Amino acid sequence: MASRSMWRSLHYSAKRRVVSPAQYRCFSCSLRAQDQGKTDSEKMTHFGFTNVPESQKESLVGAVFSSVASSYDTMNDLMSLGIHRLWKDHFVRTLNPGSPLARRHNETEGQGWNILDIAGGTGDVAFRMLDHATNVNHDRQTRVTIADINPDMLAEGKKRSIATPYYNTGRLSFMEANAQTMPSIPDNSVDLYTVVFGIRNFTDKQAALNEAFRVLKPGGVFACMEFSKVNNDLFNAVYKRWSFSAIPLIGQVVAGDRDSYQYLVESIEKFPSQEEFRAMIHKAGFMIPGRGYEDLTGGIAAIHKGVKPLA
Amino acid sequence: MGAVILARPGRSGVLSSLQKAATASSRTQCRQNHFHPPVQYRKQELPFRAAPTRSCRLYHSQFHPRAPTHEYTNSQTTILSAALEHIPSHGFTLEALTLGARDAGFLDVSVQLLPRGEFDLILFWLASRRGLLRAKVEENQFESLRSVSSVEAKTKLLILERLKMNQDIAHKWQDALALMSLPSNIPLSLSELHALSSDILTLAGDSAVDTAWYTNRLGVAAVYASAELVMTSQKPHADFAAIEAFVQRRFEDRTALAEKITGFKQYLGFVGSTAIGLGRSWGLKI
Ligand SMILES: C[S@@+](CC[C@H](N)C(=O)[O-])C[C@H]1O[C@@H](n2cnc3c(N)ncnc32)[C@H](O)[C@@H]1O
Repeated sequence: MASRSMWRSLHYSAKRRVVSPAQYRCFSCSLRAQDQGKTDSEKMTHFGFTNVPESQKESLVGAVFSSVASSYDTMNDLMSLGIHRLWKDHFVRTLNPGSPLARRHNETEGQGWNILDIAGGTGDVAFRMLDHATNVNHDRQTRVTIADINPDMLAEGKKRSIATPYYNTGRLSFMEANAQTMPSIPDNSVDLYTVVFGIRNFTDKQAALNEAFRVLKPGGVFACMEFSKVNNDLFNAVYKRWSFSAIPLIGQVVAGDRDSYQYLVESIEKFPSQEEFRAMIHKAGFMIPGRGYEDLTGGIAAIHKGVKPLA
Repeated sequence: MGAVILARPGRSGVLSSLQKAATASSRTQCRQNHFHPPVQYRKQELPFRAAPTRSCRLYHSQFHPRAPTHEYTNSQTTILSAALEHIPSHGFTLEALTLGARDAGFLDVSVQLLPRGEFDLILFWLASRRGLLRAKVEENQFESLRSVSSVEAKTKLLILERLKMNQDIAHKWQDALALMSLPSNIPLSLSELHALSSDILTLAGDSAVDTAWYTNRLGVAAVYASAELVMTSQKPHADFAAIEAFVQRRFEDRTALAEKITGFKQYLGFVGSTAIGLGRSWGLKI
């Protein structure tokens, strides 16, 4: 349980606010390097319900996902009451990736979409999007870049991609990146930006939204699925009880890692409400289609969308 | 999210009048988008109807208060207007929307701006045709309408005029009806049909009150809906005379029907059964 003890040491050092970077793996080194010089007065951010200096959050999140990378699906199953796969199918179906029509009359095939799947971790959503483009829209050009801050999650995704038809093709690539700053991705270059169950872990969500806006082409779409606020009081009470008491316990039994699961549950609780998050998307410059979000299963999760206006 | 409904300046006269109509109609439509079930909607408007002395125009602007609760945004209108052009060849499909998005300078993925997808295209088609009809009358471009005087004759002309607008898309309308028949789409579809019949009677100068107000609207809706359904089964660009004859026959039935319905109780039963019957006669599978 190397990861577990690492997480514990992180947890405690976070409480003491002592930064001892040498102890943990560097998940986004360039960023960490500048952050380490900061003092006690630096901005605090929430890590679950424990406040930690902003600079530490990324490494703490990294540790959480390292420790859950392989048992990751179990966690999703628990949090979503087992229906996250249906939600993901629905998410992909409504986005309808891929172009069924040739771009111009003289082209036999379109150019396909350039999709960026942020916090793509295990590739779950990316594979679904490629499957949809290929099988539903007969589009073999659409490609997905999976970006994640955590190399362990990326490694898991790469491993799983071997079993897909996209392995080692130009249609699938992996990239280690922090969603808040992705200098290697040019402005106005992406058709569709997706982030599924990832954004609640970001230290600065608004920065990530602004970055999404930058990389998207005019007319491009930001689409996010995230655990959200249950909109029925009774259901909310039951679900909270389930998530706060049962899930960490099950996490401990199944994955031997209670604290990581505790963090996951708490990060969900701290995530902004549907309306607040919609306002953040709007603030980044996006047009909001219709109501802007769609609740899934009573609001356990919600899908948010924004469209970048034409220049 | 600023809901601006005025589309970009039109590239041609035709387009700009089309956009204007779409704009005008999206206002009305939007009010209905607020998901008032049709009955509640009528109730709400009844007080306005009860003032019989108003002229048509004055009455009209009161009847359609400009206080929309939901509107198509500028970008949505641009995409939808462009997509209308593709309906004759692609139908009420995602392809038509996608091509519309491309024509308007957007990406394929930008159709996400329309959360209801193809159904938004259908609603926009219905609302924009209704707007065109109204624009035609209000801008005095409907000569033959002034040549007849009775409300009934005007109503018939307006119904026919609206039906003529379907000639290019009638062969694609069955697919639209299938989509409109989805349970979640039925309320909006029916309220658009109601809005059309309401507009037609208003434009025809109908000033009936009380139960006649409802029955007239139901009657117009029923005639229009069934005529439209007949059109969809015709060959493309079939002779319009057959439709004219059909509408004429339905009008004769309708007069007979209206005479039979008197009294509030009977009226209620009539509405209850008719909302569904009406939908069915329009081709909705309900
Ligand atoms: C719960 S997983 C989601 C995985 C995948 N999207 C899915 O739903 O199957 C959250 C992911 O967010 C990643 N992550 C956290 N902070 C990030 C950041 N700042 N930038 C990019 N990825 C981040 C984690 O490494 C982790 O892989």
